[in-house]
Amino acid sequence: MSASVKLVPVQDAYDDLLRRTLSKIPCNLGRLIYLASTRDYNSGAYHHEGLAARFHEDAARKALEVAHRQVFHLVAAISLEDLVSELDVYLKSSHESPEEVVRTWQKLEPYRIAVPTEVNATIARLFISNLRLALAILRFRQEPNPSRP
Amino acid sequence: MTGAYGALFVGALLLFLILLWLRANLAQRDDLSNHQALLSHECENLEACPQEFVSRIFEAEDLKFISRFESPHLQNFFRRERNAVALLWVQETTTAIRGIMHQHLETSRRSKDLHVATEAKIFAQYAQLRFLCGILFVSIGLVGPQKLRGVALYAQELTQQLGHAQLELDSAR
Repeated sequence: MSASVKLVPVQDAYDDLLRRTLSKIPCNLGRLIYLASTRDYNSGAYHHEGLAARFHEDAARKALEVAHRQVFHLVAAISLEDLVSELDVYLKSSHESPEEVVRTWQKLEPYRIAVPTEVNATIARLFISNLRLALAILRFRQEPNPSRP
Repeated sequence: MTGAYGALFVGALLLFLILLWLRANLAQRDDLSNHQALLSHECENLEACPQEFVSRIFEAEDLKFISRFESPHLQNFFRRERNAVALLWVQETTTAIRGIMHQHLETSRRSKDLHVATEAKIFAQYAQLRFLCGILFVSIGLVGPQKLRGVALYAQELTQQLGHAQLELDSAR
């Protein structure tokens, strides 16, 4: 009884998060970065002001956690070609110079914080590895090379 | 005399393969050892790597994509990265099957009605899996994960079977 009472607000909060926020972000990689940014670096707890105000704080936290894990698995499972396209869309949607973002991401690897806690170590490593490769491909494409068509 | 030459040839071939393997794996070992601590720390509550991801790690689609750029640098980078991920998966699988077998031995020690045939079957599966993991560990650096997809998927299926068998035995005893 108590479990079903608790599950409904989490589902409602999750649906609300998808409808109001995540659907407005143009790619899964962007959704992943956004969801990771709602997690506190020190405590690892998720927080979203609007969602917590509309639903219970715990329901909002759980909805963010579930959404983060789901989107992470979606991004980690895609092919390298699709990830390059995702990264391309993400870079175009950020209001920074794509060349600058690629260089910064290669140096700092900020996407490491996008990995949810308690995720399988191989999946986490695959995600990081694929992002490194996708960044190297975009950098390769950005570099001027007269011999390339 | 021919036998001695044969033995020498086999010995030299083995030595060559070991040296080749050591060379291929040296760079990946550093990367792998960084993940060892994480792996051993998390192994108790480790979420198993789903088949979808094992298939992704070992398939050739990404290699074909990277080959289109005709850049040796990108291809080498891809090989290093993908080999490291594949080796981590092998290490994770080895840890998982060791854990299952350890749990099984504990259950068997407490059990009063051991079935020799069931025990022999579980041990045979365990030995087969350890052998497959050993083969994968050596071969990933030599031929690349893309040529070992079938073996990896078979090892994953066998690990799941072993885990289920152990769970069934545990609940029955």
